[in-house]
Amino acid sequence: MDAGALGLYVCLFVALYFEVFLMISFFEKKPSKKDTTLPSRYPSVSMLVPCFNEEKTLASTIESLLAMEYPKEQLEIVVIDDGSKDSTAHIAREYAARFPAQIKFLQKENGGKYTALNLGIMQSRGEIIGCLDADSFAAPDALMEAVKLFENDPTAMAITPAMKVYQPRKMLELMQAVEYTFGIFYKKMFDNLSAINVLPGPFSLYRRYVFTKIGPFRHAHNTEDMEIAFRMHANGLRIVNAHTAYVYTTAPKTVRTLLKQRTRWSQGFLQNARDYKYMFFKRRYGNFGMLVLPFALSAFVSGIYAASYVAYKFTTLGVERLSDRFATGVPLTLPHMPHLDWFFLNTGMMAFVIAAVISLTLVAIFIGNRIADAQLTLKAFVAYFAFFGLLAPLWLIRAAWGAALAKESAWR
Amino acid sequence: MQAQKYILAFVITAAIFVTAFYIASVFDARRVADIRATQEAVSINILSLETQFDLMGSLSCSTLSDNPVLSEELNSIASRLSVAEENLGQDDAEVLSLKKQYSLLEIKDYLLMQEISDKCAKFKPVYILYFYSNKGDCADCSKMGDVLTYLRETYPGLRVYSFDYHLDLSALRTLITLRKIKSEEGLPAFVVNNRAPVYGFKTLQEMEVLIPELKTLATSTPVE
Repeated sequence: MDAGALGLYVCLFVALYFEVFLMISFFEKKPSKKDTTLPSRYPSVSMLVPCFNEEKTLASTIESLLAMEYPKEQLEIVVIDDGSKDSTAHIAREYAARFPAQIKFLQKENGGKYTALNLGIMQSRGEIIGCLDADSFAAPDALMEAVKLFENDPTAMAITPAMKVYQPRKMLELMQAVEYTFGIFYKKMFDNLSAINVLPGPFSLYRRYVFTKIGPFRHAHNTEDMEIAFRMHANGLRIVNAHTAYVYTTAPKTVRTLLKQRTRWSQGFLQNARDYKYMFFKRRYGNFGMLVLPFALSAFVSGIYAASYVAYKFTTLGVERLSDRFATGVPLTLPHMPHLDWFFLNTGMMAFVIAAVISLTLVAIFIGNRIADAQLTLKAFVAYFAFFGLLAPLWLIRAAWGAALAKESAWR
Repeated sequence: MQAQKYILAFVITAAIFVTAFYIASVFDARRVADIRATQEAVSINILSLETQFDLMGSLSCSTLSDNPVLSEELNSIASRLSVAEENLGQDDAEVLSLKKQYSLLEIKDYLLMQEISDKCAKFKPVYILYFYSNKGDCADCSKMGDVLTYLRETYPGLRVYSFDYHLDLSALRTLITLRKIKSEEGLPAFVVNNRAPVYGFKTLQEMEVLIPELKTLATSTPVE
């Protein structure tokens, strides 16, 4: 066995270990079903909507907040325009005029999402502070589900939702729909491990105490939602997942925008991991320091390694075959149809290990699908297995390159 | 954070790896058994033909088909053996044993074919004894293999007997001595229809010049 293949086995072992660990967590504590109980008290909630050039989706986002099944007098909507160049401010101002008791409109010079959020925190009054990106829409009962969780668990300092892709139609969106469903599973399992690693922009909720204790959002390499999760773990503040609080986000529709978004996320992870490197393998940070951070980093490295190894193997084989063809004078023909005989199937150990990894991934996706009723189609699975493996290495490599050069990743 | 969970996950993951290794081994063992069974069938067929030959004193040429010996079966074993060699490694004891058996069958097939061609004028075989090495001393063997595979696929009547030059098999050593193959001249080496050995890599076009008899053979697909 060559050293390259041995490295691939190490990557597969790490991936499988991680999946097995999450499966054990699932069987230890299965996610509860949605119930119809109501909270005994409705704390005041301020939903912050930071926006920058969101004229296309802002109205729907505000509408989804206005449609929340929550006492109106306890729900404040704060729209913060971060210096948009389009009609975002106009739309927000109109809504604020129509619903003056509920919607507050703030405007500032462009300074980045985290500055908009911090302004919203300062200018709002809610006990609970929620963030909702202006390209996302929460289900009407999402806030109620989250508030019930806050009430039932006084140690919960922040809550993440179950995120789904909003109306996925194109292949790229369908691919992301499966990926997000997989995310629903592992987010819940991270919750079981008290190790949630990000508080996503679309609908995360915080007790105000969080900001009093650890301060406001930071620039954090354009991933303030990840950094605040790291900082909360560093300060022993617990994050939980409300898997029954559904939020729908608009997923990138083109490869270019997807690569940009994922490069920002991945590079943000690398740079935040570097800033919080002292948490790696420290028992005092629990499963976050012992499992999630090291595995997230190893997944990053494994992804790049496996893709490079496979690309190298295919390229050298292709070049070798082509040069052999030219040297031998044997005419180029299309590859033979694979033998139908079992004898010629690849039944090496690696094939079975890869099959195990894929099977566990599928099980995780199916569980995620059941948890959040994502209603994935066969086409979505085809899109996921056909494209994800090809695209993910691209953003991982770009992110690694960007982090190595300490380049700032682009928002859009 | 529970240490037991970390250990349990490790044990399960390791168990999955061991299971994967076991399943792969079972498939490899089945492959070996499959090759052995095919080789035994070929061996019985060769023995049957030889016995038939002995019984009749001289075989009636009219009872022979155009391609009396078992090139199809031998080709099938060759491709299976190459898969087994890839999976188990070329130094695996089972693989070496199968290779020896295969080489013996090839030699027997070759001898029987010669015997038949001596007695039956209608049977004019075109064959190549091909000597290769995978010990790292034959950079062009892979390319030569490609040329021979293409020729064999194009001319189903062409018989290619390939031998690992370094295989430790006395019958093969005798064949090598009889055909005066010297590895010092450089591998790959081949003998076409009992002519003098040819050494070194030859392109498809050079092979077609070296084997003018190819024109007498039917092709599987039209040759341009």
